[in-house]
Amino acid sequence: MDGNLAIKVEHVSKKYCRYIRRSMGYGIQDIGLNLLGMTTKSDRLRKDEFWAVDDVSFEVHRGETIGIMGRNGSGKSTILKMLNGIFMPDKGRIEISGRVGALIEIGAGFHPMLTGKANIYINGAILGMSKQEINRKFNDIVEFAGIGNFIDTPVKNYSSGMYVRLGFAVAVHSEPDILLVDEVLSVGDREFQAKCYRKMHELKKKNDVSIVLISHNEYTMREFTERCIVMNQGKVIYSNASEDAISFYINKTIREREAAAQTDKYISKKDIIRDVTFSDRTGKKTDKIPTGGKLVIDFYYESERKIKKPIFGITFYNSSGLFAGFYNSYENVVLPDIQGKGRVRVSIDPFDFPVDTYSAGVGISEEEESNTLEWGAVAQQLIIERPNNTRGLLKLKQTWEVIPK
Amino acid sequence: MQTIDKKVVYFPDKAIKQGFPSLFKEMVREIIRSRWLIQQFLVRDFSATYKQTILGIFWAFFVPLISTGTFIFLSSGGILDVGSLSIPYPIYAVAGTALWQFFSVGLTLSANSLVNSGSMVTRINFNRESLVISAIAQGFVPSIVQIVVLFILFACYQIMPPITVLLVPLAMIPLMLLTLGLGLILSIINGVFRDVGLGISTLLTFLMFATPILYTKPTGGIVATISQYNPLYYVVSVPRDLLITGSVNELGGFLYSSLFALVLFLICWIAFHLAETRIAERI
Repeated sequence: MDGNLAIKVEHVSKKYCRYIRRSMGYGIQDIGLNLLGMTTKSDRLRKDEFWAVDDVSFEVHRGETIGIMGRNGSGKSTILKMLNGIFMPDKGRIEISGRVGALIEIGAGFHPMLTGKANIYINGAILGMSKQEINRKFNDIVEFAGIGNFIDTPVKNYSSGMYVRLGFAVAVHSEPDILLVDEVLSVGDREFQAKCYRKMHELKKKNDVSIVLISHNEYTMREFTERCIVMNQGKVIYSNASEDAISFYINKTIREREAAAQTDKYISKKDIIRDVTFSDRTGKKTDKIPTGGKLVIDFYYESERKIKKPIFGITFYNSSGLFAGFYNSYENVVLPDIQGKGRVRVSIDPFDFPVDTYSAGVGISEEEESNTLEWGAVAQQLIIERPNNTRGLLKLKQTWEVIPK
Repeated sequence: MQTIDKKVVYFPDKAIKQGFPSLFKEMVREIIRSRWLIQQFLVRDFSATYKQTILGIFWAFFVPLISTGTFIFLSSGGILDVGSLSIPYPIYAVAGTALWQFFSVGLTLSANSLVNSGSMVTRINFNRESLVISAIAQGFVPSIVQIVVLFILFACYQIMPPITVLLVPLAMIPLMLLTLGLGLILSIINGVFRDVGLGISTLLTFLMFATPILYTKPTGGIVATISQYNPLYYVVSVPRDLLITGSVNELGGFLYSSLFALVLFLICWIAFHLAETRIAERI
């Protein structure tokens, strides 16, 4: 293995059985074969088995962070557990070089009746730390967890946040070369999450730690990972630089959501607003706009009857489904009556939406805002991109100066 | 950049394909490396058991005492025929339960050890034998308490304990191996069939009556026949005799039983090691 590689996963597959009883039976069968010194035919599926992870290959270099995205049940956690050696692959081969720290289960082995202090030692021991190592890092752990005087209190009296903080604090102080993180941080509060990510960043920069991160949060992925793997039904369906992989994943999930939610009404040729298009500063039709750039929206309408003082509006939702903004003509201008074919154009410059993928809904009212004639979703997504020279979610206009005294 | 000395490879049927010598070396190395972990589990379970009780550690005294008391009551009431004894029955009974408690408590705790730590077993890679070993070690608690009681009884009856008491730790090794072997295998089977955890205490009650520990071995009948081939009888009765009389009658049976215990332990340990990753995906 190349000395610069931390993890090498080659054509790895893992099968699961759908039914617990049969799964137990197969377990006994496999253990029996091994006991007799025979290998199992693990590369073949038996009745009711399926590939939970199917022919997955990837590599992680030292100091590199990769993300694994995918819906529930796509095999992400199974891969992480195989990387951690909790169970063996059924096909393929995994090579790991370095000490592995896993944030799969936070606070493993914590006993609710025992104090935070006692639990630090137990948890540390489970994660493979020696007594001397824990003694040495004890103060750092307590400080990082921010639990102060509660250190001598039984952990059953901890809030769930404190519990997670203590668990995470122990895990990150176990000095791993490779850190496996499975969506565990979503439990803590935002402040602590930020602290955890800063700590992980530090581990990565200072100690060349490689990180494999599972998260549904594309902000986390965007900020934290260099590459992402998108999984679906056990297979890797996309693997690339994070920005591209995230766009792919979001588009895919949104497409799936659309397919699932047939009840959502989309604008169509039968409606007054027949189509909506987005254009950028150059006037070119596009679905990608850099954050802080100019967005031009065209509403193509057609109506046989005359609509008096029409009000056009558009709503945006971000990829998490959060209401991001609502803009209508009523707030700005009274539009003249419309009849027949035409289009209404609104230009927004700068369009200061954070980097994300947005879906839109459009509607038209007559004379009064409350008199809605129709309302429908726009099939096309609007992707707000990060301009090349920008970091973070927004490009902000700045003025820098030196003011001498 | 720090040097990485640790490199591991995972592939299907790894335990078998790496070959037996390498497997065994790995097993021993893991146990040695996990000494501190075992100690931590032991301290955790011990202190957690007695933390929210009024009587605390005194429970470790009461439970074995009550069970011994029951037998003393049954024998003095003439309900149970304990056979002829050269020493007072309370001494005989307390010494017998001291060893039996180690077996029964250790086995009950270890059979449930993996299942009770299910979330840990399925999500963290640590030495799982440690859970079983620390559970067995907890069996020493009632055992040591009983031995303390035994010496109090010796003093009460003004009997001098035999010098062979010093050999007891050594003579207990086969019992420990037997308990550990059964504990390892039962903890794995319990991961698949929870029936083990449910049935273990009933089975142990039956075994206690079927094994002549609280009564002397009858000279004839079914119990005598069973005892003759019951390794549990020999590995308990020999340390018991060393504890109270100092004269060992069935040394041959003890040696055979010790060999049996050793072989059973090795087989169960290997089985545990081969099975643990498969259990981790199913528990």
